[in-house]
Order: sequence, then structure tokens, then C-alpha cells
Amino acid sequence: MSAEAETNDVEPGAAPESMLIISESSENLQNMSSSLDEIKKMQPDNQDENINNVDPDDYDDISCNTIATGDDYIKDNDWLGKSKHIFVLSSAGKPIYSRYGNEDKFASYFGVMQALVSFVQADNDSLKSIHVGNTKFVFLFKEPLILVSISKTGESVSQLTAQLNYVFNEIVSMLTLSRLSQIYQQRRNYDLRRLLAGVERLIDSLLDFSDSEPSFTLGAVKCLPLAASIRDTISSAIVQSCSKIKDLVFAILLANNNLITLVRMKKYYIHPADLHLIFNLVRASESLKSAESWTPLCLPRFDSGGFLYGHVSYLSEDCQACLLLLTVDREAFFTLSEAKQKIVEKLRRANCLEGINESLNVREETCAETGFPELRHYLYKCKSTAQFYQPGVGAPYMSDYGRLLTLYRRAHQRLHSTSRPLKLLYEKSSDEVLLAWDTKGFELYVVLEPSTDKSATIALIGKLLTWIKKQEDRLFHLNAPTF
Amino acid sequence: MAADDGIEDEVFEDQHLNVLTSENHKNSTPSPTGYRGYKPPQEVLNLAESDGTLSETGQEVHKTILLGDSGVGKTSLLVKFDTGKFQQGNFAATVGIGFTNKVVTVDDCKVKLQIWDTAGQERFRSITHAYYRDAHALLLLYDVTNKTSFDNIRAWLTEIREYAKDDVVIMLIGNKCDCNSERLIRREDGDRLAREYNVAFMETSAKMGLNVDLAFMSIARELNYRQNGNYDNNRFRVQDYVREQTYAPSCTNCNV
Repeated sequence: MSAEAETNDVEPGAAPESMLIISESSENLQNMSSSLDEIKKMQPDNQDENINNVDPDDYDDISCNTIATGDDYIKDNDWLGKSKHIFVLSSAGKPIYSRYGNEDKFASYFGVMQALVSFVQADNDSLKSIHVGNTKFVFLFKEPLILVSISKTGESVSQLTAQLNYVFNEIVSMLTLSRLSQIYQQRRNYDLRRLLAGVERLIDSLLDFSDSEPSFTLGAVKCLPLAASIRDTISSAIVQSCSKIKDLVFAILLANNNLITLVRMKKYYIHPADLHLIFNLVRASESLKSAESWTPLCLPRFDSGGFLYGHVSYLSEDCQACLLLLTVDREAFFTLSEAKQKIVEKLRRANCLEGINESLNVREETCAETGFPELRHYLYKCKSTAQFYQPGVGAPYMSDYGRLLTLYRRAHQRLHSTSRPLKLLYEKSSDEVLLAWDTKGFELYVVLEPSTDKSATIALIGKLLTWIKKQEDRLFHLNAPTF
Repeated sequence: MAADDGIEDEVFEDQHLNVLTSENHKNSTPSPTGYRGYKPPQEVLNLAESDGTLSETGQEVHKTILLGDSGVGKTSLLVKFDTGKFQQGNFAATVGIGFTNKVVTVDDCKVKLQIWDTAGQERFRSITHAYYRDAHALLLLYDVTNKTSFDNIRAWLTEIREYAKDDVVIMLIGNKCDCNSERLIRREDGDRLAREYNVAFMETSAKMGLNVDLAFMSIARELNYRQNGNYDNNRFRVQDYVREQTYAPSCTNCNV
């Protein structure tokens, strides 16, 4: 392929060091580091906080209406018509979450799901999925929870499993995995909803978010386009204001689900999946706008065993970017609050707030506007930095971005199919031409006018990569600043 | 394991009580389990107070915490007081603790309130406990249309007695008193409970702005009195003040 010539240089968006961990594999919490312990051990003066065991009898179960009234829903066309249902239950079969409807109302279904999983498990096997017509039933058993997705969306089993993993991680991020396991070790029948009050809204948001965005499928984050000089100034303002604060692990600035910058403690990286949970928390929590907040937060891929503590605040009334300062020190609120003030002052003086606002107010250019009329849309992911870029959505997908996402998901699945992965996919239909290309350094998904032929497509891709390379310091966060 | 997941209430109790008692020995301030009514000499009290954060003007920042079940309207009450606006529409659960600074003027004095708005959900309980002991005042809310939130007040008060300072100013608040048709808790019920626990009481409506300023201002007034050394003879001042203010004209809307 002639476009290969363009990639002799480093691929666009690549950087010598990344602030994000790159990982291709779908989730596996077993691989996790115990970063929190490490960080805490670095300070001998950090007091050990011992955890006594919780007496399970101190918890009263919420009275749970387990009378099976599932018939209400099985007759409800609206409920039945949903293209995807997500359920979470305990391994004992207790309802925890349902995407639609009140989970108490179909406790009997949860019983069936639990029975299916444990029946297969009894043979030392595990139930992955059941296929009925165009409906997939996907099961994920993550001790001590069972997660189930029932989908007619055409997503693959591995994509649906990945989404269930996100739901599990969302729950872990609120409780920690140690706490979750401990609860069920002590009382198998525990009603987790008591501790998860309010988390259902976060899970709802997470599912909407991952269904309406390519970043979860790609395992990458999108950056807010900013002149490199502005992004660097912002990063160094954060570094300078926080350099004396020990125990600060990550400083993350984001706006409108785009990353502005991420400063990290040396040696520690954040996983894109953890960053997605952070984006979701900010996205789903309107209340963060009304006050400076302080909250425990577990990043499951970073360390599922404990909490980081986050100082979360929007920069100012006139700049709606959200700053998170994550530390292991649970007493650090006021230190971080001061640091935040300093950061904002520095950014204001350097006109960075305006820079952020300008970028936020400008609609992303479509392909046609950047001089690629035959190109309709594309996704470009730089693998080494786990960042991606997509242009503004133009015709004919303005009103149907969902269809475009479905195309991308299907192409992504073809490239990453475990049984038969592809390097290059070229599909021509009456509606569009789709090309997906997986190289060592990047993944590219391009949708073109249906009239575009192969050689024109290849020439265009060459030009597009050159264009992205030229824009890379604006579109990507190329530095990996540390405290 | 050192990685504290920070949620176990029980764990926190143990640790916290230890911390409290050892600190108390150091400062020789009254034991939290000491007999009722014991007052240490003024100079000891002053010592104990002086660790409050001092602002530029040398004034003490008064730490005030909003407590109560999830959804009773703590954030709404604060936002109404802070900005004068009521957020219509969606309920947005507080994440962890929200911090707001507010300077108010009472009796010609500027009083700095640092208001901590806590998430009502149980999983945040231990992070909020950590802040009780620094608090000068607590606004404990229930929702007059939600019986559970009222029934839980006793548990909240028990927690407060356990974690907060003995002399913390407590105000019980029945919020959403504009919702008369859905009301489940009568004003007398709230009042009786408040008298039983010897705390101030009022009903508020963040939506209508009813008694919202009064709630914070009477707290500010009481804290200001205490700061100026009038603590001894003003033990029940807040209750009296609130009764004078609320029973008369301001609450005609909540005809109970």
C-alpha cells in the first residue's frame, strides 16, 4: 500500500513518552498493580490506616421485595423494545442494577441469570454468551458479581463484554475491589444497593457515554485541540503550583469530555479505562459545578485495592474546564485547594483560560472544511499514546452519528477479531466506502463517499496522514509532564 | 493492608475515638465522654479553639456542615443561600464533600462561614465523619415529605454525638416545607424531636427561599457570640432566637 511511505516517520501523535498506559487487551483486573501501597511506602511518615473487619451484622439489608412480579415487564413493549439491557446481580442472585426498569420487579429473571451462570460454573466452565436470532446474551462473572448484557445492537461479544467490564469497574471505583469482596465474604446475601445509592446514575451515564462515543471502543481518549504552547503553559502552571505537594499522584484537566492535560507522579501512569471513568464521573455529576469537592475515588486499573482522594473543581465561572487533583493523602483538601487557586491565577495571567474557551467554543472542522471533500469522517488512534482524533461530523451523519459509530465498531471488531484479525479492511457499499487499517503505530478508520475507488482512497489516506502529522501538536498531548 | 478504602464506619469509629482521646490528653480539653455540663477553665477553652484556621483579617473561619440523608435538599439549601437561586429539575447527588466559603454580617460583625456540603449516601459516611470533629456547627436536614429521612435523624444525632465536638451548634431542619400536599412529617414532630435532643429547629423551603437565610444567619450569630466569649450564658440562645424568628411571621406558608 503506497500510503505506507508516509509512515516512515514516527506516526502522527506519537511521543517519546506517554502519560497513558497502552493496553490492547480487554480488561483484566488480575493484572493490576498495587500502586497505592508503593506510593504510601515512599513516605515513611505516612500512617498506616488499618482496616478492621466489618461486622456483617451491623448491616441491615434494605427490605427487598423479592416477590416475582416480572410479568409487568414481560408485557411491557417499551421495556422489551430496548435494544440493549444491562443487569448486575450478586453471585447469590440478588438484584443490584438494571439499565431499564426497577430491578426489584424482575427478581425472578435475576434468579434465572444466576442459575445459568452457576450451572455452567459447576462444570468448571464459564458461560460467555448465548445467541438467539439477532439477540446476544453476554455474561461476565467477576467475583463477587455477575454482569449480563442482552443486546440487539449488533455489537460483538467481546465489545459487549468490554462494556460490562466498564460497569464492573465503575462499581469498583466507588467501593474498591477489596471492600466489595470483603462485603460478600462476610455476607453472601448482602444487598449492595445500600452502598451503591446514587451509583446507578453513574452507571446509566457510563452506558450512554460508551454507546455514544468511539473512545471506549478504541480504548483511547480525545484531547481538546489546543496550540502546543498553550497546553505546555497549562502543564507547567500545574507542575509549578503542585511541585511541593507530596503524595499528589495525578492532576487531570478536562473539558467537555476532552483531555486538556494530565500531569503525573514519576513512574505512575493512568490507564485510559480509568480516565474514562473519571470523564464519566465529571460528566454525570452536575453538582461538581456548584462547589469545590473532595471525594474518594478508586481507579481500578491503577489500584483496585484502595482509594485515591480527589479535589475536584471547575477552573472558574468563566472557564468550564474541570480540574482533578488526585492524591493518596486523605487530609490534603486544603493544600490542594490552595494549589488550585494558584493554578487558576497562573492560567488567567497567561491567557490560557481564554485559549481553552476558544477551543471549546469552536466547532471541530469537518473533513470537507479541512480540504478533504471525498472524506466523510475518520477516527485516528495513535497507539503509543492511547489518544485519538476525530473531525467534526458532517453530512450525511449529522443526524445519525449512531450509524457511523456502528460502522466503526464493526470495523474495529473485524480488525481485532481473536479468531481472524485483519490488518486492512476495505468495504464498499451503496452508502459509503469504509477502510480500516491497523498498523504497528496507529489505527485508522475512514469513511468515504461511495464513489471513491481504491486507488483514490489510498492516495487520500496518504494525504490525510500527512495532514494529521502536521497538526499533531495541536490535536494530541505529546508531552507527558511529571511533578 | 494500608490501602484504606475509607468506608467502614465501624473502623473509623475505633480509629477516630483513639485519636480523639489521645489528643484530648495532650490538650487537656474535656473528654467527650465526660459528664454533662462540665466546663473547663476559659484559658483551656481558648487554647483548644486557637487551632481554628485564621483568615487574613485574623477572624476565625467557622466550619459548618450540612448533614442528612441523600436527597433531602442539602445542596439546594446551600445554593439558595449562596446564590439566591433554586436549581429546578434534576436531582444532582453531591460527590463526596462540597466546600463553599461565605462571609455574612451579623450584629455588625463579619462572620466567615466555611460550609461543607456532604453527600448523603452511606458510602461517603466515613470521609464525612473525618470532618465532624472540626465542625463548629451542623445543619441536620430531613425532608418533610420523606419519613425515612426523618426516622434516620436519631441515627444521625447519635453519630454526631459520637464524632463531633461536645459544644457543636446543631440545628435540625425540616426541608421542603412548601410541599404541603406530600407532607408526612408534621412540624410538631420535628419540634418535639429537636426539644428531646436539645437542638434548635426550623422548617425551610429551599425552593421558596423560606427560612433559608435565617437558618444560616442564626448559626452565624450563635458562632459569633461564642467567639466573643459569650458562650457560657448563651447555651440555648440559638433555639430561642430561632423560635422567636420562625414562629411569628415568616412561616405563614407552611400552615401546619
